[in-house]
Amino acid sequence: MLLDYDRLGWLRVALVGFTAAVAAFLLLPVVFIVLLSFGSSRWLAFPPPGWTLKWYQQLLADPTWIDAALTSAKIAAMAAISAVIIGLFASFSLVRGEFRGRQLLRGLLLTPMVLPVVVFAIAVYAFFLRIGLAGTTIGFVIAHTILALPFAIIPITAALEGFDKSIEDAAIVCGASPLQAKLRITLPSIRIGIFSAAIFAFLASWDEVVVAIFMASPTLQTLPVKIWGSLRADLSPVVAAASSLLVGLTLCLMIVTALLRRKLSR
Amino acid sequence: MQESSFRRGSIAGLPAGSGSALPAIILVGLFFIVPVVALLLRSVTDPEPGLQNYAALFGSDTYVRVFLNTFLVASVVTAVTILVAFPVAWMLAIMPPAMGSIVFGIIILSMWTNLLTRTYAWMVLLQRTGVINRALMGLGIIHEPLPLINNLAGVTIGMVYIMLPFMILPLVGTLRAIDPMTLRAAALCGASPFDAFRRVLLPLSLPGIAAGGLMVFVMSLGYFVTPALLGGTSNMMLAEMIAQTVQSLLNWGLGSAAAFVLLVVTMALYAIQLRLVGARRAGGGL
Repeated sequence: MLLDYDRLGWLRVALVGFTAAVAAFLLLPVVFIVLLSFGSSRWLAFPPPGWTLKWYQQLLADPTWIDAALTSAKIAAMAAISAVIIGLFASFSLVRGEFRGRQLLRGLLLTPMVLPVVVFAIAVYAFFLRIGLAGTTIGFVIAHTILALPFAIIPITAALEGFDKSIEDAAIVCGASPLQAKLRITLPSIRIGIFSAAIFAFLASWDEVVVAIFMASPTLQTLPVKIWGSLRADLSPVVAAASSLLVGLTLCLMIVTALLRRKLSR
Repeated sequence: MQESSFRRGSIAGLPAGSGSALPAIILVGLFFIVPVVALLLRSVTDPEPGLQNYAALFGSDTYVRVFLNTFLVASVVTAVTILVAFPVAWMLAIMPPAMGSIVFGIIILSMWTNLLTRTYAWMVLLQRTGVINRALMGLGIIHEPLPLINNLAGVTIGMVYIMLPFMILPLVGTLRAIDPMTLRAAALCGASPFDAFRRVLLPLSLPGIAAGGLMVFVMSLGYFVTPALLGGTSNMMLAEMIAQTVQSLLNWGLGSAAAFVLLVVTMALYAIQLRLVGARRAGGGL
């Protein structure tokens, strides 16, 4: 009876209680940081002695925070676009190619997700120092594209595996060129996969800290690098304000994703 | 006609259908494989050819302690994550969807929230004068603030928090794939709930627990951010040591050697994990 929700008896009370506690544990830091950002205590006392918006004012008045956010957005957008395009091409080969070592190739292209980021970070940093790409936007984008690539390939190959190729072939029989068939039949059919790939690839770059710490220069900082610096220096409530905005952004992204998925899957 | 559209698109001289993977292969080859291999070569050539970096690494108590501590933290985090994740995944697998989707929403929100944001929240929550210590003292459970940060407790709480979604989500899939009839059969044959759990439910979910646990263990081994911010100097982990050796001490040879050790261990465990997942997939197809 252990897999019958209605017949678990007293065990159900215990397990539901435990699940609720874990859900609260998962929610706690997210809610806490938002509340904290409105608290008036410089020393992060909680519950705060009063409520204020001054940390948000300080945040928005500081051009280094704005710059860091814009840099992050720019790099994440470029990395996500590159990863989705390159990943889309690679996925066709991984799903439909007929060559030996296809599984090996898949493993190779997914390795950046498994290898500890710190190993890749110092490797690519040393390499970029040598070829003059360290501390440049293009270097950042290349490194983040590699890290984002697995997150693009996984949903796209999954979508492509679920797509019946004979539909594409039918279009070709009916006179479409192979390219037309792909653009007008295949791509629209796997759009949910492509869309998920774009979101995941964007987040992979947007949230990335370790490579960014090495790549950053005084003039080129992403948001995580800026936050990292503040956390190491002091626990300023301005970080709480910046973090709350990031939580808001995450929520927006989740809602947009849910809505778009519903619309696209119609 | 079959595969015609694809053959035409492939570049002459390459195996059928591999052409469109070329941009990815070039990108990963040039900016991933080459730098990583160059780094590994550096571990045996910097400052001079030889194995002196590895000798220094394994010959020093400090570094050996870092290795041991890394395994200790990863093991504790994995064990706690499995223990916490299993009941939650179990409930999520059988809960009414309306209730379950709230919990799923919370899991996704926590997973998608910026990593540094979550770690920052724990830094504030766990500090000496933080909410947790104050609440425990207010309730009269403790009289002195507990040291919850810059030690094993801090790293464990912060890492388990991050790893839970990676354990819960795949486990839900494993548990949903188990036929409830098997447990009904166990009950009919007179098994107590405890026996049914121990002899039916647990063994059937073991492949999922093993695969998820191994993934959490591998991710924990190489984790940098959370241990660096929530851990103490006395229990440094490997990733932080690598970053520090390279960034602050500029000792590239030693840092590369440590990176190579981390790479070998991670990749070996990853290969085992692939086996497990592969085996499970094959089994699920029956």
